[in-house]
Amino acid sequence: MENAIFYIIAGITVAAALMALTVRNLFHCALFLAMAMFGISGVFLYLNSDFLASVQVLIYVGAVTVIIIFGISLTRNMMNERSKAMNHQFLLSVVVAVFLTGIIVAAIQESPFFGSEHPASLVFSTVSSDQAQQPNSYEVSGHLFQNGVSYLAGALLKPENGFAFAFEFVSILLLSALVGAIVIARKDPL
Amino acid sequence: MNNIPLVHFLYLAAILFGVGMFGVLARKNAISVLMGIELMLNAVNINFLAFARYWNWNSLTGPVFVVFVITIAAAEAAVALAIIISIYRHLHTANVDDAHFLRG
Repeated sequence: MENAIFYIIAGITVAAALMALTVRNLFHCALFLAMAMFGISGVFLYLNSDFLASVQVLIYVGAVTVIIIFGISLTRNMMNERSKAMNHQFLLSVVVAVFLTGIIVAAIQESPFFGSEHPASLVFSTVSSDQAQQPNSYEVSGHLFQNGVSYLAGALLKPENGFAFAFEFVSILLLSALVGAIVIARKDPL
Repeated sequence: MNNIPLVHFLYLAAILFGVGMFGVLARKNAISVLMGIELMLNAVNINFLAFARYWNWNSLTGPVFVVFVITIAAAEAAVALAIIISIYRHLHTANVDDAHFLRG
């Protein structure tokens, strides 16, 4: 049952992504993009990442889609609304995209991940096999279970985990990108 | 844990990446190109999380990288929309084929 729901979500996601990139009306494109982002958030839930699924909804559906809609309404060209949505390399783009997807799928089928049905058979970690059978259990035995928000925060912020500097650096990057976006979009140059 | 095989997540990510690349290559409007880039980044996020959960779920490196990718994608979307608005103000179009001042 839950497997069927996953495939339904995946189908909706792919269909919404296709619609978002082929529909001519840009507002409809943005709404289909929001739908695809909802689907990807559902896929994140199937990967046991509840916090990242909610972050996906907050940032992509809440922020990026809204900022894209702002951009569409600020740059809408009234004269060109009847023109085509695709450029002259439409057929070549279809060929390239299908070829690239085919290469990735072929590479997956050649890889060691293919054909291994049970996820626990792929796990090479320090825990024993009976613990590996239930990766979602909340009885914490030492460092075994790391699935919650607090573990993610610990991985990002504790200096011994090695990501603290990158975390601070990416916040500086975000701040400078936002300031730079304001400077670029100003009407009068500095 | 559900018993969906890992390769199905990888297939979904590959298809989403292909769709996003089609949008980047084929769309005229710069904002649609930006949407395609966002889709490709999300396909990569699905791959990160799938490998983190199925291959080595004891490590948090995959979710941490997803956090970084989401942050950088948000910054990229803001800067890209600022550039698109600036181009629109100068050229009165958002068509990527019309902005070819730097073409050699």
